[in-house]
Amino acid sequence: MKTSSHLTISRRGLLAMAGAGLATATLPGALFAQGSGNILVIASGQDIPNFDPHTATGYSASFFMRNVYDPLVRVAGNPPEAVPALAESWEVSEDGKTYVFKLNGNARFHSGAPVTSEDVVYSFQRALSLAKGNSWMIRDIVTAEGVKALDATTVEFTLATPFAAFLQVLPWIFIVEKAVVEANLGADMGQTWLLTNTAGSGPFQVARVEVGTLYHLARVADAWQPGGGNLGGVIWQIVRETATQRLLLQRGEAHIAVDLTSEDMDSLADAPGVVRVLEPEYRTFSIKMNTKNGPLTDPNMRKAISHATNYQAIVDAAGYANLMTGPLPDGILGHNPDLGVYRMDLDKAKEYLAKTATPEGGITLKMVHVSGLEQQRRWALIMLDSLKQINIDLEIQPLKWPDMVAACASPETFPDLFPVYQTANYGDPDNIAFAAYHSSRNGGWQNAVYSNPEVDALIEAGRAEIDPEKRKAIYQAFQEMVVADAPDIFGVLEKRRLGLRDSVKNYNFTPVASNAIEAWPLSLS
Amino acid sequence: MLYFILRRIVLLFPVVIGLTVIMFAIARLLPGDPVALAAGPNATQAEIEALAREFGLDQPIWTQYANYVAGLVQGDLGTSLLTRRPVAADIAAYLPATLELVFAAMFIAVIVGIPLGLVTAVWRNRWPDYLSQILAIGAISMPRFFLGLLLQLCFAMWLMWLPLGGRFPIILIPPPTVTGFLTIDSLLAGDMNAFATALRHLAMPAIAMSLSPLATIMRMMRASTIEVMSQDYVTTARALGLPKAKIILKYVARNAVSATLTVTGLYFGWLLGGTVLVETVFDWPGLGLYATKAIISQDMLPVIGVALVIGLLFVLANLAIDLLYGVINPKVRYS
Repeated sequence: MKTSSHLTISRRGLLAMAGAGLATATLPGALFAQGSGNILVIASGQDIPNFDPHTATGYSASFFMRNVYDPLVRVAGNPPEAVPALAESWEVSEDGKTYVFKLNGNARFHSGAPVTSEDVVYSFQRALSLAKGNSWMIRDIVTAEGVKALDATTVEFTLATPFAAFLQVLPWIFIVEKAVVEANLGADMGQTWLLTNTAGSGPFQVARVEVGTLYHLARVADAWQPGGGNLGGVIWQIVRETATQRLLLQRGEAHIAVDLTSEDMDSLADAPGVVRVLEPEYRTFSIKMNTKNGPLTDPNMRKAISHATNYQAIVDAAGYANLMTGPLPDGILGHNPDLGVYRMDLDKAKEYLAKTATPEGGITLKMVHVSGLEQQRRWALIMLDSLKQINIDLEIQPLKWPDMVAACASPETFPDLFPVYQTANYGDPDNIAFAAYHSSRNGGWQNAVYSNPEVDALIEAGRAEIDPEKRKAIYQAFQEMVVADAPDIFGVLEKRRLGLRDSVKNYNFTPVASNAIEAWPLSLS
Repeated sequence: MLYFILRRIVLLFPVVIGLTVIMFAIARLLPGDPVALAAGPNATQAEIEALAREFGLDQPIWTQYANYVAGLVQGDLGTSLLTRRPVAADIAAYLPATLELVFAAMFIAVIVGIPLGLVTAVWRNRWPDYLSQILAIGAISMPRFFLGLLLQLCFAMWLMWLPLGGRFPIILIPPPTVTGFLTIDSLLAGDMNAFATALRHLAMPAIAMSLSPLATIMRMMRASTIEVMSQDYVTTARALGLPKAKIILKYVARNAVSATLTVTGLYFGWLLGGTVLVETVFDWPGLGLYATKAIISQDMLPVIGVALVIGLLFVLANLAIDLLYGVINPKVRYS
């Protein structure tokens, strides 16, 4: 008995000692808080496997480019506008085909060499000839011969065709130092070298890389960029679980979390020290219909389905989102909020159904969705319920994303209903209009089947017109025509969900690529 | 014995060839278009074809396979279609993290599981036995990622004793890489603070991974101990009046542990292939996450590379176990 009680005490003592040991061992946590004074930590689920600004894709790569490289102009504000970066000023010709950029004379690469117009010409030509990454944005618009260095700090672009959104795509074409890339050309135009090295002029440069864990960018000692906050560096920390991102934010170990779910945002509502950013961004979710094959080739059938859809359930399942009011996102140039888009109305649905080859319904449609994406699965179930109301059955098939992409190859393999997210890569209506509704995109997942020559003509006119007022009129007509065609079930605009510590100062939301944080203007208090 | 080891190593070749053939066949048979996916939504057909050409994916599968094997001989595992990084470099970066985690988990499982199995066998059908049986069933049936989340909630959020995840605090510079195992590297660098930090990061994921093998090892050890205890030589030893502790530790445990070792080897391979959930929860930058991402985007060369490496490790681990039999029981002969 005596020994046993003795044992209990020693066990308790052991536990206490273990606890104390662990507690002292947490000291590095305290050190962290002190040492990170000027280092901004961003928690993100996406790795940055490739540093080459002309081949890399993904928002993590965008974050990297925006901070390590400079484009001619940057995008800022809400609604987004082009602001000076390497180019301190620019002029556009009357016909919208000639742009002349004057470079900032202070601009320096990390090597110390000045940024010249030769570097700009070289970068655009490299991007075009590699034809990867963001180069699609200037494909058929900028040609290799169309970029000219007039003098050391003046660059002239002669566009192959007038392109109204030119200043909106420029923030995504980054300038590399010609001499450095040429010195490391290899057999693949420097692609292998730039995969892990940089040749930029941005306000930050790579300090430390642990693949799959973190990317530490340090402020360039005498960064040429005007303004700027008090950051000494930025860490892009890979945190795969969104719940963990939220916990890190709550504990103050991350300053910004970029992949939070609606549930995370709910639970951060009253978290001390945390600021939630919930802003509409140009990111649409809609369900594409097969306009080329099967029962949905009949516009009346598409309209019947559009009227049968339970939009309230769709927006409820989406969390922080607004219903779309047409093919273009709210707030973008030319957006028409009064299109009278389809809303749930079973009488109208049955009216349209009566005009089809199967007036009583009784058919089975097929819908696919990305397997594992809970939100898409819920939407598929909502469609199942909605279509039952007009006696149409729905077969739901979860697919892996590569299989969904493969299904887009032809109208015969494309399912009747195909859910898709589209993110605007630049803040201009042309982006979504062209990617999602122009027939040249047929066969790809953004617009597998829909084609209407009149819509094509409007999209082309919209990108060629310079006058904003005329463009508005063109996009109004475009929206009306697309709504009349009903190629999509217009879904929701998801709000961007970011979590910030309140110590992050001078943050301003821009509804384009807002998860690829631009760190230069930010400060930590 | 040398002959035995050599023969087992020679046997690795059919394993490697078999794995590559199967993986290549699966890669070809799967539906989907990985090249179009990697080229991105805005690529033209010409750009997709150019990408396929760049990676040799436009060639017949036999040529692709021959090229792959030719590279493999030189230690080249190809290039990832999605990230454009060499697969061998990626695996070299991620493998140590996974190995460290699996070794730590197996260490806990063996160190705790074997004595516990022995104890429950000796006191079988009494309360330590019942308690451990309940715990064992609980440990086997509890999903590892869920246990991981519970541990995080308890030790990282409430008690704040341990970090939420990762291998090392992002703000600190890790010790210079020698083995890739942060615990060993920090010891080699003589940095005890770094060692303690690395251990604290390793603790929760390793415990979450260890419970299921721990329970199995314990149950195996219990069953084989009970079996050995009924052998005649144990009865004889008791009849001779040897102390009970000596009988259990020297004669029973040594004989009972052989069967348990087999399970340990199998579990090692199983854990290597099953780290992904724990890696996700604890942000452990390991092979499981890397492979999962590659599988989802049908980026086949990383998948084949990971399958090869895990296959090889599995074979080697079981070879090591086979050799251990001899160490524990000198009667074992290799032929």
